[in-house]
Amino acid sequence: MSTSDRGAPPARSPNPPRQSPPLLEIEELRVTFGRTAAVRGASFSLEKGETHCVVGESGCGKSVTALAVMGLLARGARREAARLEFAGQDLRALSERQLSALRGDRMAMIFQEPMTSLNPAYTVGSQMAEVFTRHRGGSRRAALDRAADLLARVGITAPGMRLGQFPHQLSGGLRQRVMIAMALMCDPELLIADEPTTALDVTVQAQILRLLAELQRDLGLGILLITHDLGIVARIADRVSVMYAGEVVESAPTAALFAAPSHPYTRGLLACVPVPGKVKREEALGSIPGMVPRIPPGFTGCAFRDRCDHAAPECAGAVPRQQAGAHEVLCRLPPGWAA
Amino acid sequence: MTPAIEVRGLCRSFRQRGGLLGQDRTVVAVDDVSFTLAGGGVLGVVGESGCGKSTLARIILGLLPPTAGEVLVEGRRLAAMDRRARARLIQPVFQDPFASLNPRRRIRDIVAMPLVAQGDIPARQVADRAAEMLARVGLSAEQAERYPAQLSGGQRQRVAIARALVLRPRIVICDEPTSALDVSVQAQILNLLAELRRELNLTYLFISHNLAVVEHVATEVAVMYLGRIVERATADALFRAPQHPYTKALLASVLTPEPGLGVPDVGLGETLPDPANIPPACRFHPRCPVAEPRCATTTPHAIMTAGGAAECLLLEGAGKP
Ligand SMILES: Nc1ncnc2c1ncn2[C@@H]1O[C@H](COP(=O)(O)OP(=O)(O)OP(=O)(O)O)[C@@H](O)[C@H]1O
Ligand SMILES: Nc1ncnc2c1ncn2[C@@H]1O[C@H](COP(=O)(O)OP(=O)(O)OP(=O)(O)O)[C@@H](O)[C@H]1O
Ligand code: SF4
Ligand SMILES: [Mg+2]
Ligand SMILES: [Mg+2]
Repeated sequence: MSTSDRGAPPARSPNPPRQSPPLLEIEELRVTFGRTAAVRGASFSLEKGETHCVVGESGCGKSVTALAVMGLLARGARREAARLEFAGQDLRALSERQLSALRGDRMAMIFQEPMTSLNPAYTVGSQMAEVFTRHRGGSRRAALDRAADLLARVGITAPGMRLGQFPHQLSGGLRQRVMIAMALMCDPELLIADEPTTALDVTVQAQILRLLAELQRDLGLGILLITHDLGIVARIADRVSVMYAGEVVESAPTAALFAAPSHPYTRGLLACVPVPGKVKREEALGSIPGMVPRIPPGFTGCAFRDRCDHAAPECAGAVPRQQAGAHEVLCRLPPGWAA
Repeated sequence: MTPAIEVRGLCRSFRQRGGLLGQDRTVVAVDDVSFTLAGGGVLGVVGESGCGKSTLARIILGLLPPTAGEVLVEGRRLAAMDRRARARLIQPVFQDPFASLNPRRRIRDIVAMPLVAQGDIPARQVADRAAEMLARVGLSAEQAERYPAQLSGGQRQRVAIARALVLRPRIVICDEPTSALDVSVQAQILNLLAELRRELNLTYLFISHNLAVVEHVATEVAVMYLGRIVERATADALFRAPQHPYTKALLASVLTPEPGLGVPDVGLGETLPDPANIPPACRFHPRCPVAEPRCATTTPHAIMTAGGAAECLLLEGAGKP
């Protein structure tokens, strides 16, 4: 199995001897909203300095997973997990006060919708400075200097002027960059970024992804990045998890995933995107017929089976999670079927 | 042959209400743009956010008057045309189908609306043609009875496409038609648009942020920068051998799904342009990685390239003023 090209995360054997616990360890996470199962037994782990990307179609549970880790699920949501640990600390055992002390400080999140974490009533500067002084103390002046510095690093011109503006005075792209800068105020150890660059131009996107890579190298930042963009995944992830209908259907080191995508859903996703430089204009793109199903309570078997070309009667029963080294696939097909 | 779209010297500026200091600013969104697009072609329009793509689209659709210049669609001036005739000629498909579909109407009525608005099509024929178009874009008779909120994003975009095509227009202006969709749904919509173009011999103006998508659908590409088309070429030439430094940077920023290559620094610097304050001479010179001193003083003209034209002084050769 090939390993990542960018700095080696510790090798993953079933029971690795560890000096320090992973930065984030999620096992068998389940989140339900009434009769909707949004996340159904998802497991992820993230080491310090590592980038783990989560991909999958709309509604497959990516954002809910992120919110579950941050303890920010909507009222009425039910969260269960076999394990939910940040740097060895059980997140479920923390009080709301202890959690808020972590959030924005050691673990930060960039939300999919920027306005959910920007307060329309305060200027950009006061919100950014508040995050810093709340967790780290110090003067407001020093916090504002740091804010201006970070705004410049995410490519915002005249940062001093922007600090004095209100969120509604900024374009969508600027707001998204403010959010990113705000998440970085306290030099977090863990950054959960939910579609952080979707509203941005490719040129700005490249700049922000380079900034994240730099922080990772310099500070050992661990990043859980949610995205639709397989190009971003290929370029920055150490490891990729593909979600479908609330489950992780495939997870592998990035090079392995792109070299040998093994779940029919992953293969379908990859066939859908035109690859620059390799497009065949007269040919149709691959596509996955049908839609993500709604999962009723008590559902069993592979959730992809209605859309899968390889579905067989046994796909309605329990489907094995097959493992080859660090490459995991939730499918009945034998390893190497696609080769 | 008369081009499907001919645009001459198009300009559009906007007054924007003052920012912090309360002064009004004039934003030049489209600045002296000219091009022709032959019938049956697909012109992809790319460029950074705010460079004027949607403004150009709205002017061509007749939804926004230009400050200067003119647009001919199949040789005719839209402004002089009756609304119903215009609707039979050119139609839009926008990014957010939800915003443009009336939430209180059933899908079949939404798609029938353009036919009804023509005023002279018998009710029977309206219903038949709407049903036929809905089937053509892959929506069932049962889905036709629903309301927009009861459909997925991809299904709503199919409705928007059916509504745009039900009058059998010749030209469709697509402004980010798949940007809000999942990659799987995007592929379905792009395939559908390609099929319909072949079948109905349509001409598309196709705006997108996604260069890979444009490479897939377009026959020609226009690259906009701060209101101007700085390079225009056949899709083959543009993607194989971009000529303008901005086009090169844009293409180099595209992250192909190839693991291990990292994220390139394309040398555009960190300063984004301000459309209210367009740099003199070559408008790209403050960010251009290969700019020379003359780029800040001399305005480049369009120079013929292998597959089209580009506005860059370096293409005009060394030593010329
Ligand atoms: N507050 C809520 N109440 C009820 N259901 C919810 C709530 N939040 C999310 N869901 C449901 O949970 C499922 C997963 O949603 P989630 O937002 O995690 O999707 P996602 O993978 O982030 O999709 P996208 O790519 O569109 O952001 C969806 O079916 C969604 O409708
Ligand atoms: N109605 C308007 N009033 C004032 N300014 C406007 C108006 N419409 C557009 N502009 C300005 O004109 C410029 C071009 O906008 P336009 O929407 O055409 O860009 P775009 O290339 O479509 O961008 P995007 O990729 O973000 O959609 C921007 O600076 C925008 O702020
Ligand atoms: S004219 Fe000069 S500044 Fe403009 S793109 Fe060419 S080299 Fe760059
Ligand atoms: Mg989400
Ligand atoms: Mg636009």
